[in-house]
Order: sequence, then C-alpha cells, then structure tokens
Amino acid sequence: MVVKNRLINPGAGFARTGLAGMVFLVMLLMSSMAMAVKYDVVPPSGTHTGEDVPQPIEFPHDIHVKDNDINCMYCHTYARRSKVAGIPPTSKCMGCHKVIATDKPRIQQLTKYWEDKESPPWKKVHDVPDFVHFTHEKHLKTLAFDREFPVEDVKEICAFCHGDVENMTVANKVKPLNMGFCVNCHIANKDLGAPGDCWKCHK
Amino acid sequence: MSLDNILNHWSDYRKGSEEGGHHDYEHRWAMAINLDLCIGCNACSTACYAENNLAVVGKEKFEKGQAMHWMRIERYWDQQELEHPEQGASFLPMMCQQCGAATCEPVCPVAATYHTPDGLNAQVYNRCIGSRYCSNNCPFRVRYFNFYSYYESSWPEPMEQQLNPDISVRDKGVMEKCTFCVQRIRTVKDKAFMEDRPVQDGEVVPACAQACPTSAIVFGDTMDEGSVVSKLWKKHQVERGVYQKTKLAKKDADLRGYRIFEELNVDPSVMYLERVREDI
Repeated sequence: MVVKNRLINPGAGFARTGLAGMVFLVMLLMSSMAMAVKYDVVPPSGTHTGEDVPQPIEFPHDIHVKDNDINCMYCHTYARRSKVAGIPPTSKCMGCHKVIATDKPRIQQLTKYWEDKESPPWKKVHDVPDFVHFTHEKHLKTLAFDREFPVEDVKEICAFCHGDVENMTVANKVKPLNMGFCVNCHIANKDLGAPGDCWKCHK
Repeated sequence: MSLDNILNHWSDYRKGSEEGGHHDYEHRWAMAINLDLCIGCNACSTACYAENNLAVVGKEKFEKGQAMHWMRIERYWDQQELEHPEQGASFLPMMCQQCGAATCEPVCPVAATYHTPDGLNAQVYNRCIGSRYCSNNCPFRVRYFNFYSYYESSWPEPMEQQLNPDISVRDKGVMEKCTFCVQRIRTVKDKAFMEDRPVQDGEVVPACAQACPTSAIVFGDTMDEGSVVSKLWKKHQVERGVYQKTKLAKKDADLRGYRIFEELNVDPSVMYLERVREDI
C-alpha cells in the first residue's frame, strides 16, 4: 500500500494536491501504524547460564539451522499444534540421514540407534515446573500465525525463550524461564492479549 | 484479574455483587443440580478423586474431619414422621459454590485465592501459605487443608502413574477446594482459541457431571444466554446477585430453584433444584 501511494504522489506540492496529499499522509500514517502493530511484540528479557546437558549424540543445531536453513518446526513439529514442542522421532532424522553425511561419526551413532530399533535417550533442556500450564501452540498462534509473521523466520520467535539456538550445538538453557520472566513479558504484551490471570498458567 | 490489578483496585475488587461485582467477566461458569435426580450414589465424589488427584486420607483422619473430598454428598433424613425404610434420605452434593462475592477471598493474607475473569474462585497453590483463614470464613465448609503430605501414602508406587498431569499434586500446608475442573475449562478454552471460535455450551463437562448416572448435574456458562444452565436458572427464576427473598412465600411448585445461603449474599454459582415430595 505504501509503495502505491508513493507512486501517485511524486513530490507534488501540498497546495496543488492538498487533499490527495492529506489522504496520502493519513494512509501512510495508518499503514505505518499497522506495520507497527503487526511486529510490536516486546520480547522477554533476562538471561540465565544453564548447565551443559550432555546428550547421547552431540546434536549440532547450528549446522541444521544456520548452514542448512531448516525451520525449527520441521523437526519440532508439535510446537504449532500442541502444548509441547516435542523431540522428533528417529525416523525423521533418518529421513535425511539415510543418504546425507553418512560418513560422519555422529550420524553413524544415530544409524546404530536406528538399526538397534532404539531411540536416543535425549535429555530435556527447557523444562517448566509441573504446576505450570504452558502451551507452545497458543504462543505460536499469537506471536507468529495471527500476525502473519513470515514462517521462515519463526526462529526469531522461538529465540524469545530458547535463546540463540542457531549458534549452539546441543541446546543450552540461556533464558531463566521463571515466573518473573513470563509475567514481565505478559505485562509488556498486554495489548496483544497476553493474559494476566494467575489461573491461566498455575494449575 | 492479575495480582497487580487486585492490589491497585482493592476496594473496587471487593465491591459486592449487588453493585455489579468485580469484573468484566469473560464467562461465568455455573451449575444446576437437580436434587430430584440425585440418588446419592457418590459417583461424582469418586470421579472428583480420580480427576483432581485428591488424597485418600484413611479412616482415622476422616473421623477427625481431615478428609479431602472436594465433592461430598450430604445426607439428610427429612421425613421425620415416617419410619425407616419409608423415611427416605435426601441427598445434596456439596462442593465449592464459586461464590460471586466469596467470603474466602478478602481474608486471604497473600491473595492466593481470588476471582478469575471466568467467575471462578481460584486457589493458587504456590501462593498459599496455609493460614486457613479462607476455610474458617467459608460458610459452606468446602475448603480442605493438607494437614499432612499424603503423596507417599495416597499413591504408593506405581499408583502415582494414574495421577492427572493437568493438575498439580498439593503438598502439606496448602488449602485446596473444588475448581469446577478448571483444567478441563482451560483445555476447552485453549482448543476454542486455536480454532478461533467461542466456547460452545456443553463443551466443558466437569468430572462430577460426566460421572453422574442420572445427569443431575448440569454445567455451563450463565453469560451464554442459550446455554442449558442459563435456561434452567431463568426457568426457576434464580438470578445472580439477587437474593430471592420471596422464595419462602413462593406458591408455584414449579419454581424449585434455590441457592444455598442466599441470605448471606455471597452469590453462589450453584443452583439446586429442590426435591419433589409427595404431600402426605
């Protein structure tokens, strides 16, 4: 809309095209407001130094996300449709790694798990206490899908709570994920509909 | 309503329901219990134990009044002129009435119990410090205190596997009570949110209503004009925030609806339908 308006108003004087100019200004203001509303999420703040969680296979998030540009939700597919993001089944790994990088020691480790019909015993890194009701799907709907956020950039939304996983090998907890962390973000994003009711999260 | 909001608007918050209550409500969950259909089978109580991870305290503690049944069946022998077995017992399922102007809320020193925008009387276990003021101020005696840690005794291995993951297991020193199965309400609301639609009537079914063999318990939203509960409340002329002073003078036998302790003006969310007796 902005581009179109620019074309119909190529530097015309206000006196000559007063009305058109006003309309243009109003429309420009409105569209910029719409843009502002669209991407106006205040990310949560706070840092945390999580302990290293040794995983059965040193999974390189950086190679998958940064080098090969694979979407978070390709593997963590349950994030957009359930409470938990989920760890992909080994079959999903093998979907690619039957043919890709089969000579690498980590992939050979994975193939061994696959051939033994066992799942690698992945350890949970990001965990909230049992008395907390947290849903990935609602957060993704509000922060990404309802705002027409480009789905290929969804890792920016994930990074709110999971940090810069793009540059990690195995994931490490870098955000506190405590009550203050959640509540401050909910207060800051009240306009987006972030609830402030205790019973929304406490169960 | 957030805690922040509660503290900043304390006097507004404590406004009685006759002055319009505390909130802009999103929902006002309510029940209608038809005592004519209640056969006192305790299925609701059992279902509640299973759904809400209620501790089983044992005979001795039960005798001391430390039972943790959020939903209890009260039994009354009311036809005094008759001999047993002609004298019929009447039953009354009693659970937290989710009062609109709850007496338990203002006495909590840490705001662990407060009113939600759903019209529920919430209990946040993590905030609770176990002062028991709320229980002592509750006219219905429906709040239960964890005098002991029941985890080991109630769910010896591998029984902990049957615990409901949607509700926390309360530990020693925490007050608890019926939540109108808030975990089910939450699940339904999440689902409705994901599908961009309002919550439909009959979608939320608490464990007690689900288990009731005679469908004596009806649950729904009184803000939804079309819900079964709304219609029942209307039919029996029971209204929120209005004390039916005329109830005793009522001659119409069809109007059986009443709320317990209405005269205390606590605005309960549970309407009971009187049992119909033959006049002898």
